[in-house]
Amino acid sequence: MTRKAAISNDFARPNEPTVLILTSLASGAKHGYVLTKDIEDFAGVVLGPGTLYGALTRLEERGLIAPVPSDDRRQPYEITASGRAALADAVHAMQSLANEGAARLRLRDMANPLLLTPNTPRLAQ
Amino acid sequence: MKRENRSNRLLRWYPPTWRSHYGAGLLALLDDTYGAKSVPWRERWSIATKGVAERAREAGITGTTVNANGRLLAGSQLVLCGWSLFIVAGAIFAKFTEHWNDSVSSVHRTFPGVSDAVVRTAGIVGVLLVLAAAAFVLPSLVRLARRESWQSVRRPLKKNALALSISIALTTSVALRAHFLNYHQRNGGSPGYVVIVLLAGFAVLATLATMTTTALSLTRQIDFSRRLLRNLSFAALTLSVLMLSIAVGSGIWWISEARFAPKFLENSIGSGILFTSNTLPPALLLMAVLMFIGLAMALVGATRIASGFSDHGPHRVATSSPH
Repeated sequence: MTRKAAISNDFARPNEPTVLILTSLASGAKHGYVLTKDIEDFAGVVLGPGTLYGALTRLEERGLIAPVPSDDRRQPYEITASGRAALADAVHAMQSLANEGAARLRLRDMANPLLLTPNTPRLAQ
Repeated sequence: MKRENRSNRLLRWYPPTWRSHYGAGLLALLDDTYGAKSVPWRERWSIATKGVAERAREAGITGTTVNANGRLLAGSQLVLCGWSLFIVAGAIFAKFTEHWNDSVSSVHRTFPGVSDAVVRTAGIVGVLLVLAAAAFVLPSLVRLARRESWQSVRRPLKKNALALSISIALTTSVALRAHFLNYHQRNGGSPGYVVIVLLAGFAVLATLATMTTTALSLTRQIDFSRRLLRNLSFAALTLSVLMLSIAVGSGIWWISEARFAPKFLENSIGSGILFTSNTLPPALLLMAVLMFIGLAMALVGATRIASGFSDHGPHRVATSSPH
C-alpha cells in the first residue's frame, strides 16, 4: 500500500483521533492529559482515555510519534519526521476536499477556503 | 489506594505487554482526568472494549501486526475455541435427541435420521481431527518442555490432569448411580442425583475450558515449523466445515422434529420460560446460541487463516520450511 493510500484510509476524516493527535503534537511534545485538553480546545472533540491510548498505540507502532524520556508517570509523546510528513499529506488531502467543496458551493473566498467558517457564509451571489 | 486498585483493574483488560509499555501513562491520564471521582461507566466500557481489541490484535486475530505464520496460528486457535463451544452444544444435542426414533413414524424418519447421522459423524470426525492435531503438536510441545526444563508445561499439565480426574470421577459416579435409579428418579425425581449431575456437568465444562486455554497458551510458546503450521491450518479449516455441517444437521433435525413430532420437543428441561415454546425448547435454544458463537469464531478464524495463506500461499509456506 502506498503512503498516500494509507493516509486516505486512516486520515481521511479530520475528526480521526490519529489526525487530531498528530495536529496537537505538531506544536510540541505533550502527555495524555494535555493532549486531550488541547484537542478539546482546537477541535471541540473530547477523546476518552481508551480512545486516546488506542490511537497513540497505532501511531507509535507506525513510527509517526515517539515517547519522550520522562521520569514522571505521565508519558509525553512527540511527533516524528514521518509523522509530520503524514500530517502534511493529510492536511493537503483535506485542503483539496475543502477547495472542491468550496468551489461547488461557489463560496467567495476561494483564495483561502480553509479560513471560511460556518458563521461567515460568503456566497458568490 | 482504592482508586489505584480500581484503575489497575481497568488496565487488566489490556494484554501484559501493552500494560508494561502504556499502562503507567494511561493510569496517569485517568488520575488527571477523573481525580478522586470514579471513572464513568461509559469510559470503563470504552477501555474494556479497547483492551479486548488490543488483546485480539496482539494474538494475531485482528490487524496486520503479526506475520503470515502468526495469522495461521491465531486463526487455528480461534477455530479451536469455536470447536470447544461445539462440544458443549453437541453434548446438549446428544442428550436431547436420545430416543428420538420412537417419536417419529417410520414414514417421516428420513430427514431427522440423515441429519442426526450427519451431526454424529461430523462430531466424531471432528474429535478425531483435534486428537490427530494434538498428536502432531506433541513432539514440538515436548521440545519446548525440554528446552525450558519442563517449567512452562508442568503447572498447566498438573491443572489439566486435576480437572480431568475430577470430571472422570464425577461422571463415573453419575453413571454408577444412574444404574440403580428408575426413569423418574433419573429425570429430576432424585435431588441427590440432580446435584451430582450438575456437579459433573460443571466439572466437564471447567475441564474443557482449562484444556482449551492451556492449548492456546502452550501453542503460543511453541516454535512451529511452517509445514506443521500449514497442516494445522488445513485441519482447522476442515474443522470449520465440520462445524458448519453439525450446525446445519442439527437445524434440520430440529425443524423435522418440530414438524413431524412436536410432542418430542415438549416438556424438556426449562419448558415454559420466557421466549420459549413447545418447538423452541430452552436446551435447543442454548445449543443454537453456542453453535452460532462457535461458527462466528470459526468463520473469523478461517478468514484469518486464508489471510495467512494469501500472504505466503500454502505452497510457499510449505516449501520454505526449514525442516
